[in-house]
Amino acid sequence: MSVGRGERRLLAVRDVSLKVAAGGSLGVVGESGSGKSLTLRALMGLLPPGVRVDHGTVELAGEQLPFTGDAARRLRRGRLAMVFQDPLSSLDPVYTVGAQVAEVPRRVLGASASASRIRAVELLRMVGMPDPEQRAHAFPHQLSGGMRQRVLIAMALASEPKVLLCDEPTTALDVTVQAQVLELLDDLRRRLGVAVVFVSHDLAVVRQVADDLAVMYTGRVIETGPTKEVLERPAHPYTLGLLEAVVDLDDMGQPPRAIPGALPDLAHVPSGCPFHPRCRFATDDCALSDPGFRYLGDGDADRGTACKYPERVMAG
Amino acid sequence: MPAGPPERDSAMPAGPPERDSAMPAGPPERDSAMPAGPPERDRPALPLLVAENLCVSFPAGKGQRLIAVEDVSLSVSEGETLGVVGESGCGKSTVARCLAGLLRPGSGTVSLRGEVLGARRTTEQHRAVQLVFQDPYSSLNPRLSVRSVLAELLVFHGLAQGEAVERRCLELMALVGLPADALDGYPSSFSGGQRQRIAIARALAVEPQVVVADEPISSLDVSVQAAILALFADLRERLGIGMVLISHNLAVVRNICDRAAVMYLGRIVEVGEREEIFTDPRHPYTRALLTAAPRLRPGPDRVAGVAARLRGEPPSPTARPTGCAFHPRCPRAEPVCATQRPELLPAPAGSSRMAACHFRDETQ
Repeated sequence: MSVGRGERRLLAVRDVSLKVAAGGSLGVVGESGSGKSLTLRALMGLLPPGVRVDHGTVELAGEQLPFTGDAARRLRRGRLAMVFQDPLSSLDPVYTVGAQVAEVPRRVLGASASASRIRAVELLRMVGMPDPEQRAHAFPHQLSGGMRQRVLIAMALASEPKVLLCDEPTTALDVTVQAQVLELLDDLRRRLGVAVVFVSHDLAVVRQVADDLAVMYTGRVIETGPTKEVLERPAHPYTLGLLEAVVDLDDMGQPPRAIPGALPDLAHVPSGCPFHPRCRFATDDCALSDPGFRYLGDGDADRGTACKYPERVMAG
Repeated sequence: MPAGPPERDSAMPAGPPERDSAMPAGPPERDSAMPAGPPERDRPALPLLVAENLCVSFPAGKGQRLIAVEDVSLSVSEGETLGVVGESGCGKSTVARCLAGLLRPGSGTVSLRGEVLGARRTTEQHRAVQLVFQDPYSSLNPRLSVRSVLAELLVFHGLAQGEAVERRCLELMALVGLPADALDGYPSSFSGGQRQRIAIARALAVEPQVVVADEPISSLDVSVQAAILALFADLRERLGIGMVLISHNLAVVRNICDRAAVMYLGRIVEVGEREEIFTDPRHPYTRALLTAAPRLRPGPDRVAGVAARLRGEPPSPTARPTGCAFHPRCPRAEPVCATQRPELLPAPAGSSRMAACHFRDETQ
């Protein structure tokens, strides 16, 4: 999939392929400008103005979904749902949260108004909202950040979707509350069999919720694989660099090490491998030709990397 | 074409050159402010900045007061970094603003080297305590070049004149690991990490004795956070300034702080040497924070410590629970906790670490 943007048509996302199984969870990790949120929005058919998908497809249970227009909305409706980062700005301040949750079963599933209200309370209870009957009458400003995020998750689940797309859903929350929301997402996935795509900049958070991981850099996926294996034995120098750069609570042995250089902006993505100017494994060849994405094979069938020298990276 | 700019942030890990010329370029009579060499880290340093019994409340409508900070006492010594951790609304940023003199506490005092800083600080006193903000996008004037930001400060405070201004600007750039030509740039031409370096250079330009940094790396990308932390650690070593680092991130505090204070609902619940706090926490809230923090390499199960997780969220500071403010969420709470507020006392007895819990002598 490739997305072009703006007058100058910058390539914001290129050749990104992701898949997630029913009941599975995929974490998409990257820093600002890596294209992770745009990719998620493209999946959801919610691209901002000026951004278009040049080519590529999205399939849900074997059915192809268009990216724009009425058909895009109709085909996603009730099957894909999204949870946004900032729960306050994604809720309408003038309606009670119960009414906002009830709107989904009523309009998407065609339930009656009274059945929808009952369903809304059930959903609020399911996402762990304390005292859901009372809280359904509350307005968003009367709830705490964690409770608002629970309301958003309840709304997303109200249409009984197959896939839940989460864009940094815990970034605005405190750590003790973040832990509760992560736990809730994991629990819902197991209980309801909904697939979860979880976008975040925080490796430690993603590690807790994702079976599989895709790491993005400058609009490309540069590494994929089972979360545990990718984090323990990264096959791309950028993933390795991120792991070394994380200020980790436990890793007191060595201080975190920043990745040299800065994130390139989209107008000046380096030639060849986009990471080569910051890479300690780079050779002259890396600047000349794009390494392309390939799977590692033998034993690591699910693992892929966009590096020419994964063996060297994995050896440290 | 390999992109031009990306080399800038890399200036850091090696440390800027000219170690010695870095700091003492100011007027000589300021020598007490800035010990030229690195301080001897082992000697018991004098308290530099001391806050005693700070209380801050804000009007919250309907005649209510929101108590943001209650009875907070802190101190930081030369060359020492004190971390203040807590969740949103715990009052940590309010404490930072009181320390920096941007906010007048309702009661309590802030003193610098034993001298109480009054309600209105003098220019000199303001100079001595500098603040670095969280967001380097909104804390730099977009219409001033880096040179004009720094030069204005140097001239206003009488720290340099004429050619010395330019020399000092260049030194500051080297100190924070930016190239000399960055002086001609405007904030919009820099990345987040570079802007934070500029904000740090601005704070250091006036040769402060204490730098208070409020979430200085929270808005930066993961790959540059480590570089800014390394810069703080390096500056502390070289300039011997005291630092107060406000953060919600325990990992950050553990990485660069000597001591840490944990806040909950406007009060300090635990304070002590870093390793005491992180390896043998005595307040249940500190334990809960450590359990809840996402980790890269924890035990086998992914959602670990589920049972130990806290229920609920911090209550509003306008509706503070009686007794120990943490008792409604506390796994260890007993009836006494709802009625009697625990004092911040040494734990164990005689120790420099203090915890505000009735059960502070229990380990885990």
